[in-house]
Amino acid sequence: MPRMTSYGTQIVAGVTPGKGGQEVEGVPVFNTIKEAIEAVGEVDGTVQFVPPLFVKGAVKEAIEAGLKFILISAEKVPTSDEAFMYAMAQESGASIIGPNSVGLLSTHNRIRLGLIGGSDPEKVFVPGEIAIVSKSGSMTAEIGLHLKNNGLGTSWAVGIGGDIIEGTDFVDFLLELEDDPETKASVIFGELGGTYEEKVGEFVKQGKIKKPVVALIAGDFTTKLPNEVQFGHAGAIIEGERGLPEYKRKLLEESGVSVAKSIDEIAPLLKTAME
Amino acid sequence: MILYEHEGKKIFQDAGISIPNGQIVTTTADSLSIPFPVVLKAQVLSGKRADAGGILFAKDKAEYDAGIVTLLQATINKEKVEQVLVEEMVDIKKEYYVSLTYDTSFRQPILTFSESGGTGIENRKSEVFPINPLDPLAGLTTPFEESFLKQLIAAFFEADALLMEINPLVVTSKGEWVALDAKVKLDDFAKPRHKEWDYSPRSAPGHNPTKGEIEAKKIDEGDYRGTAGSSYFDIEGGDIAVLSSGGGVSLTALDSLINYGGKPANFTEYSGNPPKEKVAKLTKVVLDKPNINGLWVIGTVVANFTDIYVTLSGFIEGLKETEKLLGSKFDFPIVIRRGGPRVEEAYEMLRGVKDFDLHLQGEETSIAQSAKIMAELAREYAEKKGENQS
Repeated sequence: MPRMTSYGTQIVAGVTPGKGGQEVEGVPVFNTIKEAIEAVGEVDGTVQFVPPLFVKGAVKEAIEAGLKFILISAEKVPTSDEAFMYAMAQESGASIIGPNSVGLLSTHNRIRLGLIGGSDPEKVFVPGEIAIVSKSGSMTAEIGLHLKNNGLGTSWAVGIGGDIIEGTDFVDFLLELEDDPETKASVIFGELGGTYEEKVGEFVKQGKIKKPVVALIAGDFTTKLPNEVQFGHAGAIIEGERGLPEYKRKLLEESGVSVAKSIDEIAPLLKTAME
Repeated sequence: MILYEHEGKKIFQDAGISIPNGQIVTTTADSLSIPFPVVLKAQVLSGKRADAGGILFAKDKAEYDAGIVTLLQATINKEKVEQVLVEEMVDIKKEYYVSLTYDTSFRQPILTFSESGGTGIENRKSEVFPINPLDPLAGLTTPFEESFLKQLIAAFFEADALLMEINPLVVTSKGEWVALDAKVKLDDFAKPRHKEWDYSPRSAPGHNPTKGEIEAKKIDEGDYRGTAGSSYFDIEGGDIAVLSSGGGVSLTALDSLINYGGKPANFTEYSGNPPKEKVAKLTKVVLDKPNINGLWVIGTVVANFTDIYVTLSGFIEGLKETEKLLGSKFDFPIVIRRGGPRVEEAYEMLRGVKDFDLHLQGEETSIAQSAKIMAELAREYAEKKGENQS
């Protein structure tokens, strides 16, 4: 929590069942979200640091209490729970980021939710015009660093997680960024498996995403390994022809997305795309 | 985890879905309690079992005895057959294909079915319906009985399955719906809430695990602090041992290494702040093979909470132990690119280690640059080794 507040995030309440009435670094703790909202008034959202098997219950509680923004940091959340949470969020008009999100950070608005940036976010994310949307937490930081080392900076950085069901996918986030005055272009980091990268291609092709997008897609080497194996993230799995990085790259390129062959190519491609 | 057919069928049966009467046979001495004619089905994880000779029919004891011997000695799609499911023959009036799985474009489960089942299903016309977990039967139009659909969908959620495929699902001449086959994949993330999952350890379908892969899997079993080894795979023909951490970074790193002509000898990923002993054990696994020309310790330079001092201490420990154990001098280049909590202490410690050819890198070196350096150093080392030998 100190890492989030010291960056500028306003944390008004904490919720831990059984710990109601206590205070952590000046922030009051409540037993339920409902109690917290009654005491502190309207809040913008919640960041959850609960163990994976308790996430579904916590999200249900947040949605029932009327919250519209939920960031889930836990990894290893069962897929069936993700499906239920996504359906609940759709029904109530709430947004979920994650599970397995490293966090969300805005250099201009000084918002930092979750673990993103580690002990020193300023070292990795310098203010700039590029949004980073990544399935991988560590690659969010690596790309931030790469931008900095190449004279560029970050507007927003978000880890959307690499699970099978993502509360917010690349397209959801890129569509929001279309209206963001601080963002000129975006970098997405994708992996083998699923169809979230392909969807970006569709939206760019249809002209719904107009700001330039540079994509780095990892996992080619996995074709040398047994099929139907999960690599790192839950969604990183190839079944038959589906989910091959090579296929994603081809489709993205055909749709007008600049595809980086290595992390070092991202900055040059961004500079060309923004000209 | 992918289940064998008989394990999947048990889940169906518990959910109220009919399956044929059957029995598991593991030796030729097992006595059979199913009346003839019967079908003999090799229990392997890979698909296309019938095409590979994994399904036989027996109308009498002589055929059965011959069939059992054949199957229990068989290797189907690289998997050695250890169990055979023997089932009664079912009289089939009509066949269907049906499956439930998660789909990233709907971000929901989808039900797929086809009016004809059997092999070659990929090429037939099928219908797909997304399932809303809050109201699973809404909008579904299928040829199936509602009670069967309810049972299947409930079983899918309750079992925390990632896939349930029945091919074929048949209607008998008596009008009964029977699952003749079962392909079920369970969600490993849900394991803590399923005490009943007592399945034997297994590798990927169509894959015969190597010694290293079996050893690596044991590291995480019984010690749940961080992960190290669960995702270990040997890569044939490689000469650069790799210890990578973080899902996305590991993938990016290996792609880069191959891109620069390096040949990784393995994939593995350790993360979530594993203790020293686990990293030491994993180090042993990646190095326990001939012809290693380099070792790459690669991860993000901005780790959030992995204690770099602890993990790299474990690494050095494993390195020294393995060198002693194998009795060969480790003089190949070792490239380390790490950063995060206690990295200064860690690198200070590494600078004091004199017995190895260590190359330390930090945030000034990108993952791709590190890959290039590793590939070049390994190539030079291999060339020098070749010259010395000739």
